[in-house]
Amino acid sequence: MIEGRRIVLDGRPMAYEDGDSIAMAVLRAGEHPRHGGTLCLAGDCGNCVAAVDGVAYVRTCQTRARPGLVVRRHPAIGEPPLPVVENLSLTGPSPAARIRVQRADADLVVIGAGDSGSAAAANAERQERTVTILDARDGMEVVAIYAGPTIIVRTPGGMLHINAHEVVVATGAAELHPVCPGGSLIGLLTARAAQDLHAAGVDLGAAVAIGSAPSGVPCTPLPGRLLRIEGEQRVTGVVMTDEGSDGERTTACDTVIFGLGSSARDLLSRMSGDPAVTVVGPAAEAFPLPECPTTGTVCPCSRVSVEDLAGVWDRGFRELELVKRASLIGTGTCQGSVCLPYVRAFIADRAGAIPDPFTARPASRQITLAEAAAGVHVDAFRRTPLHDEHLVLGARMDRFGGWWRPWHYGDHVAEYWAVREAVSLGDVSTLGKLVVSGPDAVEFLERLYPAGVTDIRVGRSRYALLLNERGHLMDDGMICREAESRFVLTFTSAGAGHAEMWVRDWIETWGLRVHVLDRTMSLAAINVTGPLAGQLLERVGLSAQPRFLQHVHAEVAGVPCHVMRLSFTGEMSFELHHPVERSLELWRALMAHGHDLGIAPHGLQALQALRLEKGNVIVGMDSELDSTPRRLGMDWAVKMGKPDFVGRSALARTAQLPDDRRLVGLTMPGTAPIEGSPIWFEREVIGHVASSFSSPVLGHAVMFGWLKRAPFPEQVEVDGRSAVVVRPPFYDPEGLRARA
Amino acid sequence: MPALETLRGLRVVASPESLDVAAWDEGAVVLRFAPDDAFAIGAINIDVSDEHAIVAEETGFVGMWLSVSELAEQVLPHIEWPLPDARPALCQGFIAGVPAKLWVTDDRALLICACSYADELAERLQ
Repeated sequence: MIEGRRIVLDGRPMAYEDGDSIAMAVLRAGEHPRHGGTLCLAGDCGNCVAAVDGVAYVRTCQTRARPGLVVRRHPAIGEPPLPVVENLSLTGPSPAARIRVQRADADLVVIGAGDSGSAAAANAERQERTVTILDARDGMEVVAIYAGPTIIVRTPGGMLHINAHEVVVATGAAELHPVCPGGSLIGLLTARAAQDLHAAGVDLGAAVAIGSAPSGVPCTPLPGRLLRIEGEQRVTGVVMTDEGSDGERTTACDTVIFGLGSSARDLLSRMSGDPAVTVVGPAAEAFPLPECPTTGTVCPCSRVSVEDLAGVWDRGFRELELVKRASLIGTGTCQGSVCLPYVRAFIADRAGAIPDPFTARPASRQITLAEAAAGVHVDAFRRTPLHDEHLVLGARMDRFGGWWRPWHYGDHVAEYWAVREAVSLGDVSTLGKLVVSGPDAVEFLERLYPAGVTDIRVGRSRYALLLNERGHLMDDGMICREAESRFVLTFTSAGAGHAEMWVRDWIETWGLRVHVLDRTMSLAAINVTGPLAGQLLERVGLSAQPRFLQHVHAEVAGVPCHVMRLSFTGEMSFELHHPVERSLELWRALMAHGHDLGIAPHGLQALQALRLEKGNVIVGMDSELDSTPRRLGMDWAVKMGKPDFVGRSALARTAQLPDDRRLVGLTMPGTAPIEGSPIWFEREVIGHVASSFSSPVLGHAVMFGWLKRAPFPEQVEVDGRSAVVVRPPFYDPEGLRARA
Repeated sequence: MPALETLRGLRVVASPESLDVAAWDEGAVVLRFAPDDAFAIGAINIDVSDEHAIVAEETGFVGMWLSVSELAEQVLPHIEWPLPDARPALCQGFIAGVPAKLWVTDDRALLICACSYADELAERLQ
C-alpha cells in the first residue's frame, strides 16, 4: 500500500490498492459502501451506491478509486439530499452545456464484451459488418436504447449518442440475491463478488456458502434451506433448516456467500422494443426463477417486502405491471435487477403462470440531469436587428411568440403618453410577412380569408381574420394589394409560422397557381405612431404619405420602405417594412429627427394598453381556441355573401346556435383588476377578464372580458367592484385620430 | 471559427421549370431551398421566364464559409442528422438547436441561418 493513495470516505482518508474500485477499497477497510445488503460488485444491485464527488447514486463497484476522490455514503434512512447550486445563472449556459456530447453512426453495435458479445462481434465481422463494441469495463456504459435504435452511452469524456443499424445486447447474467430476514446486514456477498474480493486479497473471515459455493474461496458450504441471517449490523450467523424438518441449525460466521443462480441481465434489450435490437448469450436465457419468497425484503432499492407484495395482491393488483405501480417494486436504483426474478416468482406462485418481465425504460443507470440534458438545446428565440439598440435604450427584453422583444424601456406609462400625444417608435419586425403572387392569387385569397379581396384596389389594404375550417380565429393581419396578382400579407408575430404553413397547404390542396415568399426574417418593420407621426416622416423624406389603409413603396431617411398606413394603437400609424440590414440606420434616423417632437420608443406593455383602449383584439390573448368572429364581436370582418371561404360553412351553421359566449368591453372606476380575474354575476362566476388596463387618458379601467352565460348582463362584478359592459372601442370610437 | 456575415443576393420564387433554366449572374452560388425557391448568393440580376415570379433582394441570411476540418470539428458535433453523401449538397435542419442550412461541397461548406438566429447560433457554436 502506498502512502498518499487514498480516497476520502465520509470525511476520513481511506487507503486503497492499485486496481481497486471504490467499493473494493471500502470493503478492504472492513466497511460497507452503503450500510448493508448483499453485494454483487458487478453493477447489478444498488447496495453499493454512494455520492462520489458530489454526484449521488454512483455505483462504487464500477468506479475506479483515485487519490482524493470524495465519497459520501447515502444516509442509512432516507435519500441523499439534492445538491444546491449557488448563484446559478438563469440566462447563462446550463450545466448540461458543460457535458460534451458526441454523436456517431454505426453499423452493428455489440453491448458487452464477454463471451457472447465477443462471439457475436466475431461472427458479424466474418460477414464484413463494421462492429462497435461497448463495454462498461472499458468506460463505455450504455444507459439507454431508444427506438431507432439510438444508444446513449456515458463515457469518461461525456455522453455518446450512437445511431446504429443494429444492436446486439450481450450483457450476460446477474446473480440472484437472497430474500430473507437479515438480508440488509453487512457481510453478504454473491459468489462472484466473493471470488473478486478473495482474489484482491480481502479477508472474508469465517465464510459460509449457501447454494453453489464459489470455487477457490475458502468457505463452508451449508446444506439445507435458509431461514434467516442473524446479526445486529453485521452478520454473525445463519440459520438453516433441512427439508422436511422443523429443526433449525445456526452457524456462526463473518461472511455469507450466495450461489443462488442467475437471471438474464436484459434490461437494455427490454428498453427499446426495436426489432433491430437482439439479445444473445446469457442475457437471452430463460433462467429458472427462484422459489417464491415468503418473508424478507424483495426490493432493497424501494424497500418493498414480501408482506408489501401480498398486501398489493390482496387489494386486487394481480398483473406484474400493476404490482409494480402499486408497490413501486423495481422502480429504484437497480431497476429490477435484484427483485424482478422474485416478484415474477411471487406472481407465478399465486397466478399459476409466469409473467413476462416488466417494461424497462431509460435510463438503466442513474445519470445526472446534466447528462440527460446534454446535447439538448432550449428553443432558440429570434432577435430583431434592433435587439442591441433596445438594450442600449434600457429595454427590458422578454420572449414573445418566438422572439426577444422589448417589454418596456423603463416607464411604460411615459411610452404610452408618447404614443398618445407625440410620436413613438415600435419594433414590429416580428410580424409575419408573406408575398403571394400568381394568376390565381385573388381566387386563393378569396377562398382563404373571410374578408373580400377582389375589391381591394392596388395600393390599398384591408384588415382580415384568418379562420380554420371550424370558423375559429387562428390569426389576423393585413392584406395589401401591390399589383393585380400580387399581394403582401401580414400576420401576428406568434402566428406567422403556422400561417405560412396554412397558406402553403391550402395552395397545394386547391392546386392553385400561386407563389409564396416568406419575408418575415428578411424584412424588419418599425411602427411610427402618434399624432406627430406624419410630421416626423415628412422630415425624413416621406412627403407623399399614404392615407389610412393605403400603402406605398418609398424611401424613408434614404432607406427603401414599404410604408403601410394603419393603426393598432388608435393613433396615426405607419409601418415601415425595410431590409433588415438597414433597420438600425432607419431607427436612429427617426429617433434623431423626432427628438424635438418628444419621440420615445414603446414596448409591448404600452402597446397592449394602447390597442386595448382602441378595442383591438390580440389573437391568443383575448381570443380562445374556439372563438368565432361572432363571439369576438367581429362579424363585421366576415363577408358571408362570398360563395365560399375557409370556415364559411361552420359560421353559417353556428350562426343558428344560441349566442352564449361573447367577448365584451368592460369599464370600471379605479385601477384595473388583474388579467384572468373572474367575472361575477348574481354570485356566480360567468367569465373572466382577458385584458385589462388602467387607462390614463380615460381615467378609469378598461377591459376585455369573456361572458359565458346568456342572457348577457349589462353590469357585472370584478374584483369586488361593479363593472359596466360597454361596446369597444373605449378610445376615439369614431377613429378620427387613426385616420387623421 | 469565422464570423457569420450577411449573405447578399437574390431570392426568387418561381415555377420549378423556370428556375431550372433561369440565367443567373456568373459566379453566383445558387441554393435551391425548395423546387420553387432559390437563393442566389452574389446575384444582382436574373432572367426567369415565369411572369409571376417573386424576385427580391435578399439580405435576411447570414453565413460563414468553413473548411472541411472546421465543419467536422466545430459544426458536425452539433448536428443530429447525417449529412448526405452527394456533393454538392444543400441540407437543412437544426444545428445546435437552431434552424439552419448547410451547403456542402467537396472542399468547403457554407453554414447559413436567418439573421434573426445569427447571435443564437454563434453563441451555441462557441
